[in-house]
Amino acid sequence: MTKIGHEWNAVLTIAMRGVTLTIKTPMRLIMSLIMPIMMMGMLGGSLGQNMADGLGFDFGKFMLVGMIVNMLFMMTMMGMTGLVEDRQVDFTQEMLISPISRVSIVIGQILGAGFAAVICTVGTLIVGACMGIVLTGWQMLFLLILAPLMCLAAGSLAMLFIGSIQDAKTANMAVSFLTMPQMFLAGAIIPIANSTGILWALSRMMPMTYCIDLARAVVYKGTAEYAEVVLFNPLINCTAIIVLTVAFLLLGTWLYSKSETNR
Amino acid sequence: MGAAVEVSNLVKQYKRAEKRAVDDISFKVGEGEFFAFLGPNGAGKTTTISILTTTLSKTSGEVKIAGLDAATQAKEVRKNVGIIFQQPSLDENLTAEENIRLHACLYGMYPYRPLYSLMPKEYKRQVLELAEIVGMRDELFRSVKKLSGGMKRKFEIIRSLIHTPRILFLDEPTQGLDAVARRDLWNYINNVRKDKGTTVFLTTHYLDEAENVDNVCIINKGKIAISATPCELRKRGQNLEDAYIEIVKGGLLND
Repeated sequence: MTKIGHEWNAVLTIAMRGVTLTIKTPMRLIMSLIMPIMMMGMLGGSLGQNMADGLGFDFGKFMLVGMIVNMLFMMTMMGMTGLVEDRQVDFTQEMLISPISRVSIVIGQILGAGFAAVICTVGTLIVGACMGIVLTGWQMLFLLILAPLMCLAAGSLAMLFIGSIQDAKTANMAVSFLTMPQMFLAGAIIPIANSTGILWALSRMMPMTYCIDLARAVVYKGTAEYAEVVLFNPLINCTAIIVLTVAFLLLGTWLYSKSETNR
Repeated sequence: MGAAVEVSNLVKQYKRAEKRAVDDISFKVGEGEFFAFLGPNGAGKTTTISILTTTLSKTSGEVKIAGLDAATQAKEVRKNVGIIFQQPSLDENLTAEENIRLHACLYGMYPYRPLYSLMPKEYKRQVLELAEIVGMRDELFRSVKKLSGGMKRKFEIIRSLIHTPRILFLDEPTQGLDAVARRDLWNYINNVRKDKGTTVFLTTHYLDEAENVDNVCIINKGKIAISATPCELRKRGQNLEDAYIEIVKGGLLND
């Protein structure tokens, strides 16, 4: 096996462990399907009924796309706390003793966590359909193609915050503190075109802002609402996502690796 | 005989610790040697093993494993070593075979396949053969959660040996095992040593397990108290245990 082949095999192995654990744990699957009902059905539905008038575009579709990306981020970031849980049950040792790069461990964990996130996305689409909000087959296909990139962006951001945390409870709290404000700051359900000051700065620092905007650019392409809904050129979105993901991934992995070996 | 493990002036001081966990220790383990690294709780055994297996950074000193620098060639070092940790490290949510498959694929031995039936024939043969040797073929596809402590330990051994490491680190491998499981386990490890010439680096609190080793090194409070053959140590007492207690108690009294 070549060096790159070995690293890819390791990424796949770790990712498939995440998939296996999700499939073997029915509660995880159930939670992945219940989450969209709470987030999309209750929160999104309530906002739609009370705040959508006068926006100048269909709030339902706007919210559905935002919520799909939000669920991908939220579930992937929650899944990343598995790395910290592994520390507590000593499974981390097994991965760290393997002759593979630490970046491969983290990417594998992100992709494994992404599996539950994609199931959650399916749940979001179903809840959306029940609310009368539907995407075309092509739009769903493009979003599915973008999903791994979005999961990588989410996992990298999570690593930045939990990389050096040793305790699972603290890691879960850190992820919760991150996911909730992110949903509002990145414009998942509320437009952020008029944000200013610190809120503007924070929204521009978050990879989810660019992921949501890219997803909306795909969904709204060729429509009259495009200019009102999409903030940036898709190329800017892609560049920002890649730059932020690589930076957070490397820094987060370095923190993770350091906290393990440099005690 | 070349050195499988070469440690020179190794020091480890944990952050915020007042004393050094490992304090300027040096020793060598020859290729194919059966080496016992003994000492009381908190002596620095696990810290040393963690540094030798690259999962912990050293404060200073030099560590060479299979001729490779443990600090700068960590990945290469990890290819050459297998370890059975003091704390069980199987994923309890997977089956024993899934744990072994994960390990084999992380070491790049086989391409990953999501099902056992899809794995290469050679992998299946190797796993079944190892499971047969340790008498665990029936348990191979059971969830680790449902296995006893002894069964888990045996699977950890299979896992640590599947990539045929040159050096096998055993950090209190028989802790919590009953007498039968202990004996089975040692029979298997001794056979591996004979067949493959694997260097074995053992830490244990059961001193009878160290009676047949080639060399013993006793560490106490982070420092090497003595390095000798079991035969030389026995001259200090009736058996290895007496000699060990004398050395360790002597060390404590000297403090």
